[in-house]
Amino acid sequence: MRRSVLHIGLLLLLACGRGRPQAPSALSVTDDAGRTVSLSGAARRVVSLAPSSTELLFAVGAGPQVVGRTTWCRYPAAALAVPVVGDGLDPNIEAVAATHPDLVVLYRSPSNGTAITQLDQLGIKSVVLRQDLLVDVARDAGLLGTLTGHQVAGDSIARVLDSLSASPAASVRARVAIVVWDNPPIVIGGGSFLDELGRLAGAQNVFHDLPQASATVSLESIASRNPDFIAVVDDSSASNTPSFARRPEWRAVPAVRAGHIIHLPGTLFGRPSPRAAEAVAAYARLLNGTR
Amino acid sequence: MKNAGLVALSVIALALAVILGPTSVPLGDLIHSPIVRDLRVPRALLGLLVGGALGVSGAGLQALVRNPLADPFLMGLSGGAGLGAVGAIALHLSGPWALPLAAFLGALAAMALVYRLGLVAGATLDPRILLLAGVVVGSFAAAISTAIVSLSEAEQLRNAMLWLWGGLSGASWTTVLVMLIYLPVPLVILVAAARPLDLMALGDEPASYLGADVARVRRRVYLAASMLTAAAVAVSGVIGFVGLIVPHIGRLIWGHRHRALIPVSFLGGGILLMLSDTLARTVVAPRELPVGIVTALIGVPAFAVLLRRWVGARA
Repeated sequence: MRRSVLHIGLLLLLACGRGRPQAPSALSVTDDAGRTVSLSGAARRVVSLAPSSTELLFAVGAGPQVVGRTTWCRYPAAALAVPVVGDGLDPNIEAVAATHPDLVVLYRSPSNGTAITQLDQLGIKSVVLRQDLLVDVARDAGLLGTLTGHQVAGDSIARVLDSLSASPAASVRARVAIVVWDNPPIVIGGGSFLDELGRLAGAQNVFHDLPQASATVSLESIASRNPDFIAVVDDSSASNTPSFARRPEWRAVPAVRAGHIIHLPGTLFGRPSPRAAEAVAAYARLLNGTR
Repeated sequence: MKNAGLVALSVIALALAVILGPTSVPLGDLIHSPIVRDLRVPRALLGLLVGGALGVSGAGLQALVRNPLADPFLMGLSGGAGLGAVGAIALHLSGPWALPLAAFLGALAAMALVYRLGLVAGATLDPRILLLAGVVVGSFAAAISTAIVSLSEAEQLRNAMLWLWGGLSGASWTTVLVMLIYLPVPLVILVAAARPLDLMALGDEPASYLGADVARVRRRVYLAASMLTAAAVAVSGVIGFVGLIVPHIGRLIWGHRHRALIPVSFLGGGILLMLSDTLARTVVAPRELPVGIVTALIGVPAFAVLLRRWVGARA
């Protein structure tokens, strides 16, 4: 398992950033909202309204074509040089239009419905991506590669991610509850990429049975499912205990009492990304390191 | 008879809250189970105390502003608490008690501001001005919170809003102890104001002829009721309907005398919140419903049935 992760990581590295925009010709794809997106040629000015799609655009080699990003698009470092157009959900259409984009990439969310209509009225093409699970990232890598003229790189990232998401589960090293918020307690459920990453890294999610990406649960069920580790996604240093771990009611959870807390760095684990293989390896290392 | 029934009901609600939960704990193991000892029992007791505080606060405020729609959160305290909580998260104040403390201080600040505005027309705290001041301060605080939320990294602050919707997940023996120390003072003030509150129902002038110091009673009742609400919002967020519905149910069964109404509202609020929270924890287990939804789902039909029966009996 370990070897295959490394292997996939290498492939991904090769796939990233290769190739130049190919010769323009009419393009047509179906996006994650079921809309047909047709461009007369590869998009040259792209506004990305989600951190995950910004990362993906840079990964397929379309970074130089990105002319607008959200405040939260901070990866890769090169993205920081791109002008900010505001928020990703319910975006400021005026700021987006001012960059004269020929393609706007949006996250599929009800709060973006108005934005899509407004962009249509302005004659600005948009593509709506879901990007919740690894297969979504794979499909979207292909879509964005095609739309930006980096089809080869996009497809190769897609293949790597597809094979990663289809790989068999690693043997279980530890049982984990991923806590997103402490009051009310919100945990990651089965329908999420963090659950997928855990499956591949040998970290079995004790709330895998919940079909949602995340859900409010009772503290009592966290305590009774008794995970070996509590995982939190944050950017603070590993020695920094989350403040909820010092609250008396959380001490009823044995892993909290024992200080078995894993910090998953937000830059790598905060959203589904083409660096999923890297994330799986990091997750597995974190589990080993705490043993 | 009515009183014995109420006490029995609160014992039953407390027992159910301890026995039932998302994890099945055999009856024989109840005493030894750490889950029951450290999570369920303090949560049930906190439900009793918070529900009681909200019930009494609602009863006091409804009498104070002579408005049946008054509830503990009408006077801007939820807005103040929300601003406190959102501010604490936006400023990255960490520490296990940062959020409840900030919410408590926010609620107290809103209370002080409303109180000050209420005194504009004189020392008697004109109920109409008090209501207006409460609504205005609440909206102002909510506007600032929304501005902060929309300008900051959204996810964490959305979660702050979840916390504000209310729930008893933060229950521990520590919170129960804090409430046990804090609650007696405002409760005693309100019980002591029971007789003047009865008189004030007749109108300010008759009440003062009958010996009530209207201005002083109003100020005390407002501050005590707000102190109860501020504590409740700090430990459990904004739990709706308890403070609105329970005093009305109490009046339907026990009448308008505050000597009876205040303790009845306390137990009634406790019963409603304990039962609602037991349902919230168990019906979709291991998931949990926001308890404010359940209080409304139970409280409103109960109130409708009682209203029909009592109005029908009088006609």
